[in-house]
Amino acid sequence: MEDTTRFKRFLKEKNLPTPWCPGCGNGIILKSTCDAFDELNLDTDKTVVVSGIGCSGRSAGFFNLDSVHTAHGRAIPMAEGIKIANENLHVVVLSGDGDLLGIGGNHLLHASRRNTPITIICFSNEIYGMTGGQVSPTSKQGAKTITTPDGCKDTPINVQALIKAHNCFYARTTTFHLKHLKKCIVEALRHPGLAFVDVICQCIVNNGRRIGFKDGYDMLMHYKNTYKINENADLLKEGEIGITKVGVVK
Amino acid sequence: MSKLLLQGNQAIVYAAERAGLGFFAGYPITPASEILLEFVGRKRVKVLQMEDEIASINAIIGASLAGRKTMTATSGPGFSLMQESIGLAHMMEVPLVIVNVQRVGPSTGMPTFPAQGDIMQSRFGSHGDYCPIVFYPNSVEELYQHTFSAFNAAEESLSPVILLSDGFISHIYETVELKTYPTVDRTRPPLGMGRRHFTGLTHKDNTKPVTSDPEVHRALLRHLKKKCEDVSEKYNFYEYIGNDTADTLLISYGALSRAAYKFRDKYALFRPIRIFPIIKDLKEIAEQYESVIIMEMNLGQYRNQVESVVHKHVELVSLTGGKIDLKEIWDKLTAIKGRGRKRVSVAD
Ligand SMILES: Cc1ncc(C[n+]2csc(CCOP(=O)(O)OP(=O)(O)O)c2C)c(N)n1
Ligand code: SF4
Ligand SMILES: [Mg+2]
Repeated sequence: MEDTTRFKRFLKEKNLPTPWCPGCGNGIILKSTCDAFDELNLDTDKTVVVSGIGCSGRSAGFFNLDSVHTAHGRAIPMAEGIKIANENLHVVVLSGDGDLLGIGGNHLLHASRRNTPITIICFSNEIYGMTGGQVSPTSKQGAKTITTPDGCKDTPINVQALIKAHNCFYARTTTFHLKHLKKCIVEALRHPGLAFVDVICQCIVNNGRRIGFKDGYDMLMHYKNTYKINENADLLKEGEIGITKVGVVK
Repeated sequence: MSKLLLQGNQAIVYAAERAGLGFFAGYPITPASEILLEFVGRKRVKVLQMEDEIASINAIIGASLAGRKTMTATSGPGFSLMQESIGLAHMMEVPLVIVNVQRVGPSTGMPTFPAQGDIMQSRFGSHGDYCPIVFYPNSVEELYQHTFSAFNAAEESLSPVILLSDGFISHIYETVELKTYPTVDRTRPPLGMGRRHFTGLTHKDNTKPVTSDPEVHRALLRHLKKKCEDVSEKYNFYEYIGNDTADTLLISYGALSRAAYKFRDKYALFRPIRIFPIIKDLKEIAEQYESVIIMEMNLGQYRNQVESVVHKHVELVSLTGGKIDLKEIWDKLTAIKGRGRKRVSVAD
């Protein structure tokens, strides 16, 4: 039988518990990332995780690896500096949608243009969780948040288009589709250039509950019913998850 | 030993390379752009032109944690953008060098004219309490020398060190002897070699954040402050030209201090090179004179700091707008009543 505890060697158990609310999706991504590290048998002396600021930004501190917790939005340039200074390191960014696509959006634009070989795992909970539930760059049109009580007027950022425009790796998955989530992270880690994994995940406390979900499980069931896997698409449509076809790496 | 005619900005690059720089990231800005340009094609240094100054400083923080000696260079507007991450580098104890070639501000100001408007920004620009080491040379030769000082102080204090310059000394050409000064190597293992957590949150021993214990925060602040102060003592660089016949000490630094030499027969001169932490000897030196005047290319940023050390009123000669004019300086000095050469010695 498969040993299901092997992921723990990547986890700093003595730093647990995490500060996350019961029912939050962040822990699922943390564990799946450890699982993916384990599947690839990554060398713990050659793997570094970097986070920004936010609920998701706290994830770096729970890896049994050297880890860096940067300023809000700055995980990507910090990761690029690390990677370019020592190309033998696997550098993995784990951070929030607000952090990576809002305040840090310009860095993603340019890191993908440079195709720096780092793996970025984006916790897309469509909200600024840590600060109490303000609208985020991934919030859908019409989304009710504390700063958009009448519904968000703007369109969400099309991060897929941005990443694909620069011929980088783009995968979308959810915290319900556990096997798929792990596979996306594994393939991202294998990719020789910049790889972006967009993980749709639940913030129950500062988002889900306000838009009618009972609990985290309820949100997971919503992901189950909404998202269909489409492997090897050129571009994913709304409601689809999968690993998109990668162009030629420069 | 070879001698070269170098521009101030070039001298910084020559020295940085010899001090062991391995990684440079920057964004173009007058009057600092020549630094980025001078690095292009140098094989020993990885050079990145980033999308902005925030990316630049964060890239060098990452590269420094990964084991390289790192540097960035900018001017006031870019230095402002870096401030948040300067605090981060202090909290995470990351050695690096930031060159700030000052130009006239605020805002875009007068980009090609020199100024000294970033004195407070260098000391207090980031939020929270920290105690940065800041050098401000006044010649091309000194820029060369104290680039070594900046790198060494950064390594010894595990903190970001500021090397100030200005549009004047960074753009003039002077001969420089390419000496090799002793260099300090990195002691902390690079990223990948541990299970450490580097964070801007209050923390203990690089293990995990501790965000609700005031004692942990106080201990961290004490540690960060003491470390930088102790290391700074090894870099007690200043120039003091005493004057028995003068009753006034004239303080100046950077570009403007070059003009001060013209008045050495009338005043005693003091020029800090390590401008922060403030040179302790200044108190004793100032006590020997009846009065103290400071000249700066701002509205008195260093004056307030100096007063808190010398504990007496310091008169200000302020020169803004990038203009250094000896007649104007002399007029302003003499307008400060009853200061300068001792009356008795004149009568003698
Ligand atoms: C420069 C700066 N601005 C604002 C903040 C406040 N802040 C902390 S976390 C956060 C939003 C985080 O949102 P996201 O990245 O989506 O992470 P989540 O909490 O949703 O996981 C903000 C605005 C900050 N820490 N720094
Ligand atoms: S506020 Fe939201 S994102 Fe943050 S821990 Fe709670 S559920 Fe998770
Ligand atoms: Mg979020």
